[in-house]
Amino acid sequence: MDEPTLIRRAASGDAAAWEPLVLAHQQAVFRLAYLFLGDADDAEDIAQETFLRAWNHLKRFDETRSFRPWLLSIAANLSRNRRRSAGRYVSALMRAFREQPKETPLDEKSAQNTEANELWRAVQQLDLPDQQIVYLRYFLDLPVSETAEALQIAEGTVKSRLSRALEKLRRIIHQDFAVLADMHEGRDV
Amino acid sequence: MSEMDFGNQIHSLAKQMNYPRTPDVAGRVMSRIVSERGPRFLSKRWAWSLTIIIVLFFSLMLIPPARAAILEFIQIGIVRIFPRSTETPIDIPKTATPQSLVPVTATPYLESSTLLVDLTRLAGETTLDDAQGRVTYSILSPTYPPGLGEPDHVFVQDADGAMTILVWLDPNDSQKVLMSLHIVPEGSWAIHKAEPVSIQETQVNGWRAVWAEGPYPLRYSNGDLDFTRLVDGYVLIWTEGDITYRLETDSPMEEAIKIAESLQPIP
Repeated sequence: MDEPTLIRRAASGDAAAWEPLVLAHQQAVFRLAYLFLGDADDAEDIAQETFLRAWNHLKRFDETRSFRPWLLSIAANLSRNRRRSAGRYVSALMRAFREQPKETPLDEKSAQNTEANELWRAVQQLDLPDQQIVYLRYFLDLPVSETAEALQIAEGTVKSRLSRALEKLRRIIHQDFAVLADMHEGRDV
Repeated sequence: MSEMDFGNQIHSLAKQMNYPRTPDVAGRVMSRIVSERGPRFLSKRWAWSLTIIIVLFFSLMLIPPARAAILEFIQIGIVRIFPRSTETPIDIPKTATPQSLVPVTATPYLESSTLLVDLTRLAGETTLDDAQGRVTYSILSPTYPPGLGEPDHVFVQDADGAMTILVWLDPNDSQKVLMSLHIVPEGSWAIHKAEPVSIQETQVNGWRAVWAEGPYPLRYSNGDLDFTRLVDGYVLIWTEGDITYRLETDSPMEEAIKIAESLQPIP
């Protein structure tokens, strides 16, 4: 059954049609929430809340829009609100009591992951709208058209905002992220 | 390195990001949906409970003060205002009669200082341009009083519809909010405003409006209490089309109406 059919059936109250839609998109939603919040438990909460909100408002979903960007826009809004909520500080406090993970030696692949993590840390220094566009376009690899739908802006605006965000990111990397500086100078990563 | 090369490098590196394993979101979401739906048929216990509630409700409706408390509220846009109950019945005008004052009580419900919120606690701060890019309606901003300028803070919050909040600070005291304007689209959570000191019906550009004096808590219909009251003063609420506007100010009503009637799309 194709996605529009599943959405129509779910909108009419068929919960069985909702499950394959959640399965299809849960990874992207969870990852976006994780990028915003940096904690897997928080990200899981947001992912669940996203799909429950979407389920409850499915009748208002405009079928001419793409489904994934709609879900990601809900997840982004919930994540951004969570970042400032009291619950976030409680979660952070609980995390502080958890056992620290054991350190493992780095192999080549994990070195690349380290660079990707450094990039994530650099992106976290951007303001939230810039973070959101970078996460959608580069980290989640959404095409420009879906990024535009998720942000409800024109594709041309996506490109101009990305350009401004990249310029800020370039400055942040140059100032504070030596690991990534080579990339900034034009050498291979 | 050109911007395109830099963007490509960022894109390539970002795709190598290591994420935690995706949890079983679908399983948990489906079990929550099923549990929220509950059984198709009411159990005997629930049926009895429901019967008792219905009998109690209709019994209460036979008592005039209780009936007044249950039925009397003012709905304007998505905002529902519950006046403070009094021993004498209150005649709340149902038509848009300008200047009709409805004193409800002289005693504040809560200390105003406990309700004012710190701006740094408000979620969703952004810029005016970004806010306009993220909402589907046109963001209007007052052009009165002259020299007011752009808001000092702009927030877009998710209320099952993107709600915009514009905030102007007092030029003589940057810690004090001079005025705030909530722009709330249709379909957002209903806001319940409980027991304001006084309520007065008026008009903005010919649209029905309500002028209320705080302090009072705001309650969203999803159960969250949210103290997004920023000004220790008055609130003017009105609707234009599908949008509900809520202006907080310490100016008198006539001045607030002038401000409300001066709204223009942001350049």
